[in-house]
Amino acid sequence: MLSLDQETIVAISTPPGTGGLAVVRISGPHALESIKHLFSAPDKILPRVATFGKLKHPSLSEGDFDDCIITFFKGPNSVTGEDLVEISIHGGAFLQQKLLEVLLRAPKLRAAGAGEFTFRSFLSGRIDLSRAEAVAAIIRAKDAAAHKNAQNQLQGNLRKLVEKMSEKLITSLTVLEAELDFSDQEIDFSPPEALVTPLLELSQTTQSLLETYFYGRRLEEGFRVPLVGAPNSGKSSLFNLLLGQERAIVTSLAGTTRDTIEKTILVAGHSVVLVDTAGLREGRDEAEISGVDRSFNEIELADLVVLVQAPDTAPPKDLPLINKPQITVYNKIDLDKDPPPNKDIYLSCATGEGTGELREAIYSHIVNMVSEGVEGVVLNNERHRDVFLRLKDQLDVCVAAIQGELGPEYIASDLRVALDILGEITGRTTPDDILGRIFSGFCIGK
Amino acid sequence: MTVSRESYDIIVVGGGHAGIEAALSASRLGKATLLVSMELAALGRASCNPAIGGLAKGHLVREIDALGGEMARATDVTGIQFKMLNRSKGRAVWSPRAQIDKKAYSAYMFNACLNQQNLDLFEGEAVSVTVKNNKTVITGIVTRDGQHFSCRALVLTNGTFLNGLIHIGDKQFSAGRINESASVGITESLTVLGFETGRLKTGTPPRIKKDSVDFSKTNIQLGDVNPEPFSFSTKDFNPPNEACYITNTNLRTHEIINGSLAFSPLFSGKIKGVGPRYCPSIEDKVVRFSEKTSHQLFLEPEWSNASQLYVNGFSSSLPEEVQLKSLRTVPGLEAVEFIRPGYAIEYDFFPPSQLKATLETKRVSGLFFAGQINGTSGYEEAAAQGLIAGINAALLIDGSEPFILGRDEAYIGVLIDDLITKDTDEPYRMFTSRAEHRLLLRYDNAHFRLSEKGFHLGLVPALTHEKTLEEKELARRAVKELESVFVKPEKIRALISPQAPITENQSLANLLRRPGVTIEHINSLLPAWMKGLPSSLLTLIATDTKYRGYIEREHLQIARFSKHQNVKIPADVDYLAMAAISFEARQKLHRMRPETIGQASRISGVSPADVSLLMILLKQGVSRETP
Repeated sequence: MLSLDQETIVAISTPPGTGGLAVVRISGPHALESIKHLFSAPDKILPRVATFGKLKHPSLSEGDFDDCIITFFKGPNSVTGEDLVEISIHGGAFLQQKLLEVLLRAPKLRAAGAGEFTFRSFLSGRIDLSRAEAVAAIIRAKDAAAHKNAQNQLQGNLRKLVEKMSEKLITSLTVLEAELDFSDQEIDFSPPEALVTPLLELSQTTQSLLETYFYGRRLEEGFRVPLVGAPNSGKSSLFNLLLGQERAIVTSLAGTTRDTIEKTILVAGHSVVLVDTAGLREGRDEAEISGVDRSFNEIELADLVVLVQAPDTAPPKDLPLINKPQITVYNKIDLDKDPPPNKDIYLSCATGEGTGELREAIYSHIVNMVSEGVEGVVLNNERHRDVFLRLKDQLDVCVAAIQGELGPEYIASDLRVALDILGEITGRTTPDDILGRIFSGFCIGK
Repeated sequence: MTVSRESYDIIVVGGGHAGIEAALSASRLGKATLLVSMELAALGRASCNPAIGGLAKGHLVREIDALGGEMARATDVTGIQFKMLNRSKGRAVWSPRAQIDKKAYSAYMFNACLNQQNLDLFEGEAVSVTVKNNKTVITGIVTRDGQHFSCRALVLTNGTFLNGLIHIGDKQFSAGRINESASVGITESLTVLGFETGRLKTGTPPRIKKDSVDFSKTNIQLGDVNPEPFSFSTKDFNPPNEACYITNTNLRTHEIINGSLAFSPLFSGKIKGVGPRYCPSIEDKVVRFSEKTSHQLFLEPEWSNASQLYVNGFSSSLPEEVQLKSLRTVPGLEAVEFIRPGYAIEYDFFPPSQLKATLETKRVSGLFFAGQINGTSGYEEAAAQGLIAGINAALLIDGSEPFILGRDEAYIGVLIDDLITKDTDEPYRMFTSRAEHRLLLRYDNAHFRLSEKGFHLGLVPALTHEKTLEEKELARRAVKELESVFVKPEKIRALISPQAPITENQSLANLLRRPGVTIEHINSLLPAWMKGLPSSLLTLIATDTKYRGYIEREHLQIARFSKHQNVKIPADVDYLAMAAISFEARQKLHRMRPETIGQASRISGVSPADVSLLMILLKQGVSRETP
């Protein structure tokens, strides 16, 4: 949905999925300010100059993200006519998503709606006026497509859930508004404290919904399962073996700038991205060091790590602590008559022995990560997630206002903000809607 | 009362709350003005309840005052009981209400009009309007006895008089109010010009003889001991505090009403017009809320020491004998006698989507509508519209920029914007919940918000304006200083007992933001100059401080949406040809013809995407005209 505001908006501008490079665009008055703290060389940014540097996480403990190139266009000399920042990063889908998530934590940024960049370009006169009708058609199509998409994807479950949640807010708001506008009437008003319980329930629902986003993203991008281990432990053979059995339904998503190779297989109806990584050992030259870095990076991004060991290779010395679900695979058992105990899977790529068990193990891990969703809703869209993140914060504000004994008009103001946030999905609730509730629910009129 | 000429700058038809404010503002702005009323003795007559103000309505009255209108001053002079409503809630929704002496109020307004320079009064009935330039420009009115008055602007404030039809039981008769004739002709003369019209309904309760009431069975209700006046210019305020009385209906009452619904024009279908949901008749309440065993009734004096009382809560169009019989089941009213029964009245109105934000009609230049003719209810709503119509009629004649208040500036702005962008399906009444920026539009800061505008218009005297500017500056300084004056924990603990322990120095502002802490609690900590400020100003400062976060959020929201709000839409746009816009939105836009993008965005059925497309198509249209 397009809105007539002056907020700063952000979106991934390159096509969805993994590509060589990805571009994230930010447009609006806070564009530059919103990325400065994430960039290693904020002072080097000049208008219309591509500046190379590192992207940082806002929290230092998480370290650097990736290399990037930032180009700043000062409004009105930009495609939207506003201040515009373009961040070029490597094209991994996860990296893109993570950057977007970090950016959306900034209070003055929000996810762009369908066609919103184009719309702003038009309003600023940057797009030829003769193309306006085409733009109009595009926006219309996008809105319809987005609507249809949401309908199909969620069978209307999201809408139903949001309506249910709005209903709770509206009920609370109706009580407050009735008290404000009709306090001279003979109505018994429940104290504001009575509103805390429904708000906490809503907050709980919102939290559960946010937790489905982990699964929702994986529905879109697939579960990421790297094969990790010392060099020559047989990772690539295992990789091919697992693929070979699934070849008929493999899709290619090879990253062109990475040493790692990824292929997607289907497990329990879910896409699983198998990643073959460089062997973990102390790198001897720069290329190898960078390959090993990427392997560590893969572990970080992993949903499930397959740790491959073998009798003829020593386990990697500096293996980082993996706090992810993992399967330890002892490979090449055809070479070892007396394998060590306590491994999850004993397997031979040569004979194929144990591959069935490995597939079973991967299967059960994936099934464990499947979410039922909240009333059938699994969040898989950044914009929706953004809505619920803001809703959660706003519900906290509402509860604090009640507990802080602020007047009902202030609590009502907070509730209206919460309702407007939900309204970004289902449409706004107007004062007339609330008044209608009051008139039908209370006996008004002296 | 003399009519000095046949040609005026501005003619106002109707002498109710809208007509008075329109006539006074127009003449005060130097325009030769004529007020036409069917009965000059009825100027400013309060047709229904003897009260001014109330929730959200009190805000309107304060705003009228800040803009130089008359209603607040008249209320202060003629009020007999004053009360601040919602006092237990935050300041934004406090709202003053007064019981008035209806006779004194009407007399006050009559004198205000009589003594007003540039204003002539004429007793007579306007029966048609005259136009020129292919029905697009107003030229005057014709009265019942055939007299023609010409004008450059005409403000119609006909109230409930246009084809008014009173219902009492199965009796119906033509009237504007009880014992006053209806006005016939204006509606028809406007329909010929192409105006759409509709029917609405409202009602009023019986008036009873005071000496037929046994007050020992009722509860007495008085006003505030230290009342606040409505007008910022009222000094030495010492109004009377006359009593109202509360009693209750019971199941016997409801039984009688239920048994007589067959004789109710409301339920038999005789009444076609739609009545207000917030002001239902007693029969409506009994039917719709059948689970309630009792409804409150207020017995209110109609004037000082009145022998006549108004039965607030018992509006009815049931037959007189049913009204009397059911009312006699109510404690204290066992022997009640009527002065006259309650009644319902149906009247013509003109759906206000036919108006611009100035209250001038889109169809005929120079023709303005204000008050109940626009489908509103309430004295305050009417007065507010009258004021705006009068001002804009004068500005139109001068060729000056119109005077339009934003939704973020005044309840009056909300009122008019709602009227012109919404479909009226019941009489419109103001509620605080209609104002999205309610927290900014407080009754206590109305002069801060509006007095400067009133001054620039020429309706607020320079002295009043300067005083407001002074107060505004004091408030600004005080709000700043409260943030920068810090107090030691031990000093704080001596004054308030906070829930959480205070260990660090606190700013006075932060202290005020704690739950339950008021300016009174911390009075001894205030800088000396601040202690000397009048208590009403000090409370305003405290409110601005306590809710600063909310106030800032409101300002942020206003700024966010202001960019396109006032972008004008040409009057001749062909919406039906805009195929990209959804069908429903096209139809709505075509019918309502919004003046700005902001108005378009508030029409129901027009989505944000439609508004975006509209803007795109408008830009395109403009580009074609200027290649």
